[in-house]
Amino acid sequence: MAISRYVLLVVFTIAMLASTAMSDPILTKVDRHVENPGPLIMSEVLLAFPELQAKNLAYLMASSHETKGKPKGSVVSLPIKAVNLDERPSAVTFYSVLLPKEVAAGESFTLDVLAVFTHALRPVPEHITQVDIQLVLYRDSVYYLSPYEVKVQSLTVKLPDSKIESYTKLESTKVHGSEIKYGPYENLPPFSLSPITFHFESNLPFAVAQELVREIEISHWGNVQVTEHYKLIHGGAKSKGEFSRRDFQARPNDRGASAFSFLVAHLPARARSVYYRDLIGNISTSHLRVDSRKTELMVEPRYPMLGGWRTAFTIGYGLPLQDFLYESEENRFLNMTFGSPMIELVIDTLIVKVVLPEGSSGILAAAPFPIKQWQETKISHLDIGGRPVVVLEKTNVVPEHNQYFQVYYKFSGLSMLREPLMLISGFLLFFAACIGYMHADTSISKSSASYLAKQQWEEVQVLIQKVQNVINRCLAMHDNLEASLRDLSRTGDVQACKAARKSADGLLKELSKEMKPLLTSLQAYSSAAQILPKVEELVAKERELQEKVMLKHSTAVEGYERKSGARDIDHRVALLQQKITALKQEVDDLLQFIDDI
Amino acid sequence: MAPPAKPITSPVSDAWYPTLAVFMLAIGLVLTASFFIYEATSSKRNCSLAKELTTGGVASVFLGFGSLFLLLSAGVYV
Repeated sequence: MAISRYVLLVVFTIAMLASTAMSDPILTKVDRHVENPGPLIMSEVLLAFPELQAKNLAYLMASSHETKGKPKGSVVSLPIKAVNLDERPSAVTFYSVLLPKEVAAGESFTLDVLAVFTHALRPVPEHITQVDIQLVLYRDSVYYLSPYEVKVQSLTVKLPDSKIESYTKLESTKVHGSEIKYGPYENLPPFSLSPITFHFESNLPFAVAQELVREIEISHWGNVQVTEHYKLIHGGAKSKGEFSRRDFQARPNDRGASAFSFLVAHLPARARSVYYRDLIGNISTSHLRVDSRKTELMVEPRYPMLGGWRTAFTIGYGLPLQDFLYESEENRFLNMTFGSPMIELVIDTLIVKVVLPEGSSGILAAAPFPIKQWQETKISHLDIGGRPVVVLEKTNVVPEHNQYFQVYYKFSGLSMLREPLMLISGFLLFFAACIGYMHADTSISKSSASYLAKQQWEEVQVLIQKVQNVINRCLAMHDNLEASLRDLSRTGDVQACKAARKSADGLLKELSKEMKPLLTSLQAYSSAAQILPKVEELVAKERELQEKVMLKHSTAVEGYERKSGARDIDHRVALLQQKITALKQEVDDLLQFIDDI
Repeated sequence: MAPPAKPITSPVSDAWYPTLAVFMLAIGLVLTASFFIYEATSSKRNCSLAKELTTGGVASVFLGFGSLFLLLSAGVYV
């Protein structure tokens, strides 16, 4: 499309803010009132920038200036794209803004254009000592570079403070404090240029991050961990000569006014575990203020930053998952701000790495401005293959780029079980190793005397355990009988007692039958020779005890049947009881002795 | 317009992590203890592989989950 078709263009008011807060970027705001004289319908507007300036262009936004009274939140930005024109003057870059609705012939339209340039201020002189003031130079054109005819145009330059060293004086120049106005110029042809320069003092912090790597790690167990590695440099006039700390601290406004000693970052609300450290370790000079809408972190590097000085540090914080990870249709997506949370920071190279949990697939990143992206892998906690990482890179990033970007991916809920399963299988391996060790036979010779002796002893032990088992059951029976006697003395129910006696009899007979083969097999072992007499003694004593208990039981039952006095029964039982107690003690001792072997 | 996005949270609420860690590890350690007691007191003749494997298996499940929740409650979001 030829430029000449779109004939006229009207009023320009350029307000150029040589930074309100940061020194390095320059913000240019253009209010353009566009008139379409006809005969064609306009749907696009071209913006032109000289190539040298376009190299430093970091951010460009155009919005329609609907009515003056609208609140700030209703700014809608229009789509912009870079275009290449066939017939154009050299050294000019063009951008085309798509208008929301077409402008018919004879109508007019108002457009707001915001352009942010980085590294456009040049410190002159380039090297200053600690006591010198920092002066910067800025070059621009009085006439706005436009591919259309300009009817009326005026330029306002806002400098950080009113200490202006020099500026280009033209006829219609007016200075008000820190603002310079270049009065309305009328009827300018397209592509008219007239250079002006400003040389002024600027002590605002020139913080430039040469490289910033932001790593955002998502864990579906409830946390988004952001780690930011900064490499900062003071981008203003380089410091020469020596630095006197005493002078700096005594009179900071005189000695070292151009230095900055702290940076402020606005982290999202509900940020937790915030840390600030560098290669040496933790840096304690920082302050955190928690708000309901943001978390404000003020960090002070280990030394104040003078011109040309560098520092490198890491800031990390964790964020709750539900604030940033969402689910829509089949995809999950992360909604996060792209730029650095630091206010007033210009970043030369910004690399954002989004680490997604293992098992994510179909990964796609979308940002509202052009970025370079590729994928990597990172091995982190409890990983088998590594986690997929989307790396987004952008150069020349300014705080206006701190908008939300999205990363879409697919993840099935079952993949979350992979981590506990790894831990479980680890423990299972340990238990299996224990089982294997217990069952393994690690003797070298299977026919040596000691091996055979050990095997025999093991078998003997098994038998003895069985004997002990039987004897314990006998003792349990005795206790049963005693209990039934006590019941008798309480309730007087002789029949129940007799029934208990009968069952006890039967069981004890069975148990003694069990005992016999055990004893015979025990006798067969030679290594049991030592323990055998004790076992036999135990069995004999137990039998005695059994007899005595039976006797006592029958005496007591008889006594009740004959209804003789309680004292009578007790008297008869007393002697028996004594013997029983003594025998019990001996049996217990023997059992203990056998156990200890 | 796309359907409104629903925020995703962890399947187990954050506040439960320390409690779950303690209980699961306790149960896991008790089962481990019983496993080792069985190993120590049984001789080669009368040990049963099935009992050993089940005790070890259940103990490792509880220990696995317990150590996962321990890591999560300590702030290592794996």
